[in-house]
Amino acid sequence: MGLIPDFKKIATRSPWIYRINAGSCNGCDVEMATTALIPRYDIERLGCQYCGSPKHADIVLISGPLTVRVKDAVLRMYEEIPDPKVTVAVGVCPISGGIFRESYAVLAPIDQYIPIDVNVPGCPPRPQAIIAGVAKAIEIWRERL
Amino acid sequence: MSNQIAILLAVLLFPGGVFALVFGLAMKGVDRRVAARLQSRVGPPLLQPFFDIVKLGFKRTMVPAAANETVFLYTPLVGVVSMLIAAALVPITSVYAPDAAIGNLLVLLYLLMIPGIVLMIAGSASGSPYGAIGFSREMALMIAYEGPLVLIAAAVAIRTGLGLGGWATFSLNDIIAYQQAHGSFLFDPVMWPAVAAFCFFYPANLGIVPFDIPEAETEVLEGPLLEYSGPVLALFKIMSALKKVVVLSLGIALFFPAAPAGIVGGFLVWLIKMAVLMLVGITAVRLSMGRMRIDQAFVFFLKWPLLLAVASLAVVVVV
Repeated sequence: MGLIPDFKKIATRSPWIYRINAGSCNGCDVEMATTALIPRYDIERLGCQYCGSPKHADIVLISGPLTVRVKDAVLRMYEEIPDPKVTVAVGVCPISGGIFRESYAVLAPIDQYIPIDVNVPGCPPRPQAIIAGVAKAIEIWRERL
Repeated sequence: MSNQIAILLAVLLFPGGVFALVFGLAMKGVDRRVAARLQSRVGPPLLQPFFDIVKLGFKRTMVPAAANETVFLYTPLVGVVSMLIAAALVPITSVYAPDAAIGNLLVLLYLLMIPGIVLMIAGSASGSPYGAIGFSREMALMIAYEGPLVLIAAAVAIRTGLGLGGWATFSLNDIIAYQQAHGSFLFDPVMWPAVAAFCFFYPANLGIVPFDIPEAETEVLEGPLLEYSGPVLALFKIMSALKKVVVLSLGIALFFPAAPAGIVGGFLVWLIKMAVLMLVGITAVRLSMGRMRIDQAFVFFLKWPLLLAVASLAVVVVV
């Protein structure tokens, strides 16, 4: 029992991030890419790393209102991510549909289909808000390990 | 019997096993940190690769429905074991000399091929189309870089062998002893083409940016590794960390083994050489170049490194 919690603490210092675009207008995606990748907001400090494959991911950032067309793909992608995982919804679209909310092609809110752990509202949210969301997700992830 | 125990210790503790693993992961951490600093960001903690390995230990392993489960799960083990043995084959001047029974350049050449083959088998066993693309790219790249490597090794072996009054010597201990006595091959103009060819070879063998084509995460989503998750993915990370130590250390042994006598001095000099080789040869190259296409890399390898390696072999035999 003594050693295991320490290993868990170490493990939470390596959250790998994966992005799912659920029909987003790309505003939030640009914001996410700049948050993580440009030097100024460098979240590699937290040990984060973008990964190309959903199977390597720990924290999933979902943007967009979940359009009807993309729903199956998003659900399948979500299933591919190994447990324990944490979901962060980025932007106002996953919460309410945002500016697309009355469209016939939109299934928001997204938490009817996927359990969302952290919401980062905004259109698009500020990079600082996204980083705060990731930090919060890491705390939730620690409890799930 | 004491022989066998010594070999076992070399494989499991030093310079293979625990030492190579810790050293390889630490090198990766320094590499990421320095890369971040060169891009004027803070970068991850130095121990980040260790955190990653521990984290992967907590994740669930998923086997795709289309995969061959046995092959999928056990090939990475073969790769890790081959690299552990390879690490025990490479001598470190005045610190470690492999047992004469195993310290052979030819054995090392075969062992160095295994991680590439493991990636190919793993990629095709995963049943993913991206894995298949990774398989074909890895195969093309291996065909391109193995030729020059064999010729480089032959050039070094023949140079040493002729110097010692025989024909070719593949014993790594002899190669190092010869260079200690007659000066390193790095300062021998006859060997310069081989040194240059080796500089082209190792980024391809280690999968570093201009040649990381089989695992390109922005094109084929890490190719063979795409379907791996959890502890099995950690085995691949461990394999590549070990491979980095083996290949860089082999470069030092082949071309620049000069070091003072005594364990501490020899080890410090080896550390400095490894650090320089990594920062200049891996970090700087990785950050300053884009990725080649597979056809470009193939043609490139069959043109320059092969030419250089053939030239070095010819010069060594003639001079």
